[in-house]
Amino acid sequence: MRTDRVLYITTLSIALVLLAALPLMAAPTPSNQPTMPNCLDCHTCKNPTPEDMCLKPCPTLQAAHNTRKAKHGLSEAPDTMRLDEIADLYQPVDFNHKLHAGMAQMGNNCGTCHHFSPEGKIPPCKECHMPSGEETNLRQPGLKGAYHRQCLGCHREWSHDTKCVVCHLPTEGKKLAKGVDKTDIMGISHPKTEAPKTKVYTTPYKQGPIVTFHHDEHVDLFGLRCVDCHQKENCSYCHDLAKTVSSRKSMKEVHAVCSENCHATDNCAKCHGMSEKPAFVHAVTGWPLNRFHERLGCRSCHPTGKKIAKLNNECTSCHQNWKPGAFRHAVVGLTLDDTHLELDCESCHIDRKFGARPTCDSCHDDQRDFKKVPPGQYSSR
Amino acid sequence: MTLQRRDFFKIAAAGSAVLVAGKATASTESTSADFSDNFGVLVDTVACIGCRKCEWACNDQNHLPTQELKAFEDKSVFARHRRPDKSAYTVVNQYPDPDEPDKKFAIKVQCMHCNAPACASACIVGALEKQKEGPVTYDAWKCIGCRYCMVACPFQIPAYEYDNALDPVVRKCTFCYERITSEGKKPACVAICPNEALTFAKRGELIQLARERILAQPDKYEHHIYGEHEIGGTGWMYLAGAPFTTTELPTLTSEPIPPRTEKIQHAVFKGFVPPVALYGLLALGMYTFNERKKKVAREEDRHES
Amino acid sequence: MSHDIAVPVKAKFFTKGTKVVFGIMVAGMLAYAYRLLFGIGAATNLDDQWPWGIWIAIDVASGVALAAGGFTTAALADVFHKDKFHVITRPALITAMLGYTFVVIGLLADLGRYYNVWHPMLPSMWQGNSVLFEVGMCVMVYLTVLYVEFMPILVERFRGKVNLPGMLAKLNSLSERLLTLIDKTFVRFVSLFIIAGCVLSCLHQSSLGTLMVIAPTKMHPLWYTPISPLLFLLSAIAVGFPMVIFESVLASRSFKLKPETNVLSSLAAYTPFLLGTYFAFKIGDITIREVWPFALEGSVQSLMWWIEILLGVLAPVILLAMPKVRASITGLFTAACLVVGGVALNRINVFLVAYKPLYSTNTYFPAITEIMVTVGLICALVLVYRFIVINFPVIAAHPIEQPAMTVGPNLSPVAAKRNK
Repeated sequence: MRTDRVLYITTLSIALVLLAALPLMAAPTPSNQPTMPNCLDCHTCKNPTPEDMCLKPCPTLQAAHNTRKAKHGLSEAPDTMRLDEIADLYQPVDFNHKLHAGMAQMGNNCGTCHHFSPEGKIPPCKECHMPSGEETNLRQPGLKGAYHRQCLGCHREWSHDTKCVVCHLPTEGKKLAKGVDKTDIMGISHPKTEAPKTKVYTTPYKQGPIVTFHHDEHVDLFGLRCVDCHQKENCSYCHDLAKTVSSRKSMKEVHAVCSENCHATDNCAKCHGMSEKPAFVHAVTGWPLNRFHERLGCRSCHPTGKKIAKLNNECTSCHQNWKPGAFRHAVVGLTLDDTHLELDCESCHIDRKFGARPTCDSCHDDQRDFKKVPPGQYSSR
Repeated sequence: MTLQRRDFFKIAAAGSAVLVAGKATASTESTSADFSDNFGVLVDTVACIGCRKCEWACNDQNHLPTQELKAFEDKSVFARHRRPDKSAYTVVNQYPDPDEPDKKFAIKVQCMHCNAPACASACIVGALEKQKEGPVTYDAWKCIGCRYCMVACPFQIPAYEYDNALDPVVRKCTFCYERITSEGKKPACVAICPNEALTFAKRGELIQLARERILAQPDKYEHHIYGEHEIGGTGWMYLAGAPFTTTELPTLTSEPIPPRTEKIQHAVFKGFVPPVALYGLLALGMYTFNERKKKVAREEDRHES
Repeated sequence: MSHDIAVPVKAKFFTKGTKVVFGIMVAGMLAYAYRLLFGIGAATNLDDQWPWGIWIAIDVASGVALAAGGFTTAALADVFHKDKFHVITRPALITAMLGYTFVVIGLLADLGRYYNVWHPMLPSMWQGNSVLFEVGMCVMVYLTVLYVEFMPILVERFRGKVNLPGMLAKLNSLSERLLTLIDKTFVRFVSLFIIAGCVLSCLHQSSLGTLMVIAPTKMHPLWYTPISPLLFLLSAIAVGFPMVIFESVLASRSFKLKPETNVLSSLAAYTPFLLGTYFAFKIGDITIREVWPFALEGSVQSLMWWIEILLGVLAPVILLAMPKVRASITGLFTAACLVVGGVALNRINVFLVAYKPLYSTNTYFPAITEIMVTVGLICALVLVYRFIVINFPVIAAHPIEQPAMTVGPNLSPVAAKRNK
């Protein structure tokens, strides 16, 4: 009896507590998450579609969307822009647009500076950015801030100079202040960059600290373009004298350049070793390259696929257009005489197997050797 | 060095019970009010390029001794960390990034225009005053020159004209009070900033803006808006790419400073009850002891007679 | 109670010692003038990081604390009717009155706009949140109260004796009427003022301790406590009697009077309790706040704290707990010196030693002119005290106990001096 009552009371109280807790559990838990940008910051309508995005004139919240690359050729870009908003204080700034547009190709193209541009049209800065004092949007710099941030973002990083006269010529005197070295940041043409041949890195990877990177190989042999690896690098990547760009990258970031496209399936030892690795020599594949093939990039023979596909050792895998008259036999070191010149290739190279030993048996019965009795004249090697 | 808040109130509770039989009352102002409608400035030190134009603009606006704009391009001043003084309400200092000492970032310092300003709480004559628009202003005409505000300021901002024998004044950033209220303009330093590293707006909007900036570039910014909570919040707030502990901005708790003294003060003077009660108690004591003495004297007289 | 009659001390104002003190005072006045002419910057070592120096720590904070003898003695003799101590109320009152007067003079030197010192009295500038406002108002009112308490002495000295020379003789009757008026108003109700003095003292003595509570980030933890006001009040109450003993012994030596050993040792008997309470609160505070490690950190601050607590508090508690010490003038004086020094050191510690500016590149040490002003003010106080004691009925010497000399029953020391 007694235990029954205890049990009953216990159950009842638990049920009551649960009942009381129910509305609490049902209540939404307050979120500590920082607020995401509001859709309406950029869009004028509630449900934008790809067809009708109903964008506000200049939504600059980059966090909400990736920057869009305008379809716009470099050739269409203006050569120079004259910025003369404060002509009363300084001479107008002649901004060499073409030069900068060219440099932007290394980075994010036009989007490097034109961080938001509607499709097909690139508006000038002042179309969105209001002159100083007339700004209405806290989230968008005024024209002054927009200009300065664009320019100083790079220019300051390698000169560390914030003198006005670096860009703004004084209205009077028309001379730069003393001690301003314009060439530091304003060099008209970029000096020739010298690509390194081989770079050797020491990494913290214990099983193979040494990574040898044959830059020339990747450029000359593998035919990579600069932008294939050097993505989103602005000028300051090289030019920053005080190294304001972080050199500290995560392991993922460091490896991404190599592993993202080409070396995705390679293991660590492909690059990492205890000592410097030699450059690639084609002989290791069992096909030492002759002096003609040596000059070629990989893609000349291995044109397709991400991976370098193994070719058979038939010359015709590449040289498919070899036929009499079209092929200058002299390149192999043997200038055919007039008689042999007109023969079909198959006459000597049975089944067009150019790697195999040619035969004279098709015409000659004396089992002659083409080396001793050549079908023309050997050029001295 | 700083006293823990917990300890403070532990002692305060014990202390006030002994000191007076009165309950500590909450500070009359500044704790509950919402300051989001006050004017404020967000200093984005990531966008700051350390050009010192704000220093010139401030000197120019406040008629402080100054040089031509070009003189402020001198970077050699960064060799040491300067403080605002009687001839400069704001200065820019440069700090090395703790991760990469070669990398530098600049911080502009000036009066923070606290939500609950210790200086105004300290001021004996109300010469320093928190305006409803946000700025903490100074009225030299009222000032008696006791410099208690300088003792009280947790940011060590007010400076003094020690060399003025006749009418020295306390000097600190005015937030361009007239300029931003009656003229409807931005403060001079904000207006000149070429990189728009300074944003002038209502404090509430600025906090929202600062959060958005951190959210948009979480790798770039420290996840801390300095001044959002420090000593109950300040009108001027900072974003930075490096921890604020590496800068000259002091590490502070979110507890406002004025209540520390005001609570004691208001407990002692609650409706003037404690002083009056003490007065009554002493008067009663005096009377009682006097009566007893008279009684003793009378009895002695009786014995003698 | 007839033995308590106070009379002006018959002594020459200038002696060899007084002349030296006078010289120092003049030097102090020159330094004061220098500050007025050339400003605080020229006269002090204060800067933006160190806004307060010894003029606040010593002249004001220590000055106010050491003038606490006035209200503690008044409370003892007039409120609690320990009539035995009436004999020392007047010297204590004069000490307090002059003490506060010189606190204000010292404060004026420190104020950048000293001519605005009256501003806190204007209702339009009242700032109820300011601790300093409360201190200022209480000090102003208390100073007035002290002068009111001085009125009986004034009336006693001059009533019926006003005899101005020459032209001013016409004012004789007017002055007489004024004195009568004062007698009828202030003097009759002086006990009300005495109580008011006690209340006001409690208020501002404690509030002085609240002042530095506003600087949590700049204060050394050994002194940064929310019960700072209580500690200030307790120490002020505790230092009151030792201060009376201190100046009483000094005065009797200076005027070659017989010290009131009996009264003074009875007075000193309170000190172990009062100072012991202060000591207990101080130790309890350090313990509850768990800041003992800071006392052992070996810094200048910790050293000063130990000096303050051991030499200035614990040592005199132990000394004065011993009846033998209390019975001897030397013992009393030594212990009183320790208490006075200890409390003064506490004020200096709170306002200077514990204060650490956020961006200071230097430490503060007073300039020579600062020291000159402070020392000069103390000398001036001594001289004015001497002047008042010689010209007003303040000190009551015992009429008996020594064989009567030529002048009067109660002025034997003067006679002794004359014999020299």
